Amino acid sequence: MKAFWIGMANLRRMFRVRTNIFFVFVFPLVLILVLGATFGGSSSPRLGVVSVGSGSLGTALLGELEQIPHLRVVTVSDPATLLTQVERGNLAAGVIIPPGYDGAVRAGHDAALRYLARPDQSSQQLGETVRGAVARQAALLGSARFAVAQHAAPDFSTGLAAATRLSPAVPAVSVTQTNAGTTLFSRTLGQFDEGAWTELLLFLFLTAMTGSVALIETRRLGLSRRMLATPTSPATVITGETLGRVLISCVQALVIILGSALLFGVNWGQPAGVAAVVIIFALVAAGAGVFVGTLFRNEQQAIGISLLLGLGLGALGGCMVPLEVFSPTMRQVAHITPQAWGNDAFAKLVGHGASIAGILPQLGILAAYAVVLLVLASWRLRRVLSA
Amino acid sequence: MRAAWLICVKDLRARLRDRSALLIGIVVPLGLAFIFNSIFSGISGASDVISLGVVNADHGVASQQFTSHVLPAVDRSGLITIHTEPSLARARALAANGTLAAVIVIPAGFSARVQANQPASMQVIGNVDAPVSTQIARSIAESYAADLNRVRLSVATAAGSTPLSPAQTQALAAQAAATSAPVTVTDVSAQTKELNQKSFFAAGMAVFFLFFTVQFGVTSLLEERNDGTLARLLAAPISRASILGAKLLTSFLLGVISMAVLVAATTVLFGAAWGNPVGVTVLIVTAIMAATGIMALIATLARNAEQAANWQSVVAVILGLIGGTFFPVSQAPGVLSSLTFVAPQAWFLRGLGDLRGGGVSVVWVPALAMLAFAAVTGGLALFRLRRLAEV
Repeated sequence: MKAFWIGMANLRRMFRVRTNIFFVFVFPLVLILVLGATFGGSSSPRLGVVSVGSGSLGTALLGELEQIPHLRVVTVSDPATLLTQVERGNLAAGVIIPPGYDGAVRAGHDAALRYLARPDQSSQQLGETVRGAVARQAALLGSARFAVAQHAAPDFSTGLAAATRLSPAVPAVSVTQTNAGTTLFSRTLGQFDEGAWTELLLFLFLTAMTGSVALIETRRLGLSRRMLATPTSPATVITGETLGRVLISCVQALVIILGSALLFGVNWGQPAGVAAVVIIFALVAAGAGVFVGTLFRNEQQAIGISLLLGLGLGALGGCMVPLEVFSPTMRQVAHITPQAWGNDAFAKLVGHGASIAGILPQLGILAAYAVVLLVLASWRLRRVLSA
Repeated sequence: MRAAWLICVKDLRARLRDRSALLIGIVVPLGLAFIFNSIFSGISGASDVISLGVVNADHGVASQQFTSHVLPAVDRSGLITIHTEPSLARARALAANGTLAAVIVIPAGFSARVQANQPASMQVIGNVDAPVSTQIARSIAESYAADLNRVRLSVATAAGSTPLSPAQTQALAAQAAATSAPVTVTDVSAQTKELNQKSFFAAGMAVFFLFFTVQFGVTSLLEERNDGTLARLLAAPISRASILGAKLLTSFLLGVISMAVLVAATTVLFGAAWGNPVGVTVLIVTAIMAATGIMALIATLARNAEQAANWQSVVAVILGLIGGTFFPVSQAPGVLSSLTFVAPQAWFLRGLGDLRGGGVSVVWVPALAMLAFAAVTGGLALFRLRRLAEV
């Protein structure tokens, strides 16, 4: 019971510092929003198009480009802006449909589009999609021109009208598409889903790590000495301090999960499974945080190490880039972190609709982490408290 | 002046001794840049050649035209490699396991159907996780299909309502096929004004933690006031300006040391390319000034060192995030992409990016922007610090 109140005191102390509320609750939610908005859902390359003054044929070509799947067309006002945007990497590549495109083609001149690409290959490879769209339009334009040359049409516009009218009736050469292989990513994931669980794991661990500072403060202010002066055993103090970290993590998880579900409609999967992952992961994080807190006397040093471990292990464990895109070797290396197992568990819960039974292996490994870290932490804490 | 220098040296020594500045200024950013780099270097990125397969089950005129003229031209670009696969089953397996991003299949009888003016189709089998590469394969096939369609439509349009004999049709088709396309696409190569991945993580982490490193200087004024050493300093024959100057100088020098070590270490350890030394120096110096100004201003608004550190962390993290130090926010949609420039970090990174694609002169705009941050926040901070240095 006493341990519980020591834990509650820790929770209250955390809430008293207003900036903590920002880092523990607000910032993770903001990040889920920003990451979801930037990278969530499609990762389609963006093609910038300048079509100012290119006339109706220019607009038609723009329409052809917009129909290309897996390509996001962004209209840009002038070539100079387009060039800068492409150079800075804000756009994957760019196309300039020259002003007077419509007039030039109708007058029988050859028109030239300019395709802007950076030296990197993905930027240049996209040129094929542009050539495809141009070829589709050129089928009509070329037929119109041919009709004029063959004296079958008095002028280009009449020829174009005839070609457009005849086009659906002419037997077409077409391209069909099928897919092969099993996808790494679950197709049922919402825009914010994966970002939400990875950020949850990142921040649960990070908060518990920076919580090590509170432990140092407890010792510096003499709180632990005073507790031990009362009829309270070191075991109770240790349990209480650790419980404090776990309580903070659970409250944090609750706010992030409910907040992201209500605000951005994030799907979290089976509640029992989610609760199991969160509680066991909170124990892992608490163990790690308390352990680090016993290694340092200086709060700033503890912050430095906590940031390095919290962000570093988070990144390695797939909290910043999904594990699915890691190279096979890196994916193996990643699984030395508890975050990787947490991410695997959530991928099953959310991506594949697994229940708590389906994530038992992940839960087991996380529990092993928790046991090892908590034993280490209480051993160190006992030594530090008795010193 | 001498007094200011002595205070500054004392502060620097204290920071080096408790190792916290060393951790925040050098070890943590270097460690994180290293981790990010190891993760991302295994991820397929911008420098990948797309591997496409082609299965020609037809061997007629139209398919030969595609496999021996269209595809080799694509292959010659060096951007896409074409692998001729003997069987559909094998090609499909390679697409399924991702060895090939996509396979273009020309079914048996394709050329005959093209010749006979019947509907014909090519097939693209794409790896599910390579939608963009599959789209590129599909576009290559569609370009060719569109060209065949152009000939068909040209003949139909030229013929109008007059029925044609097979010989006439063939002659017209040959003529139509010989005409050039009315619209051409010319390639213009744009420069790269983006940092490469290694340099981005090095620069991003360096400037993110710079805002934490410079805190040690200015915030120590609050600590000195708490500990009562500020009163003693003021009692000594030292001007207030010297004390304030010393604290700002400490911040600045900590920033310089941290950035210099990080530039050298990331260049040597993982080959980050920072760019023209003069330009990089200008950007780093102005970034340190901006960071010092902003962090000093926040320190003057806080009641004690602890509160100052908390607020400074919040501001440093927010500015770091919207300044694009962790991921390029400029690629985000909507307001977010312009919001990024309220952060000096964004100007710093843009400056380094522009430096990669241009001469030294490109750094003046970002440098001036960061100087403006420094001037405004630093000026306000000095104004408030003056009052703070009254006991």
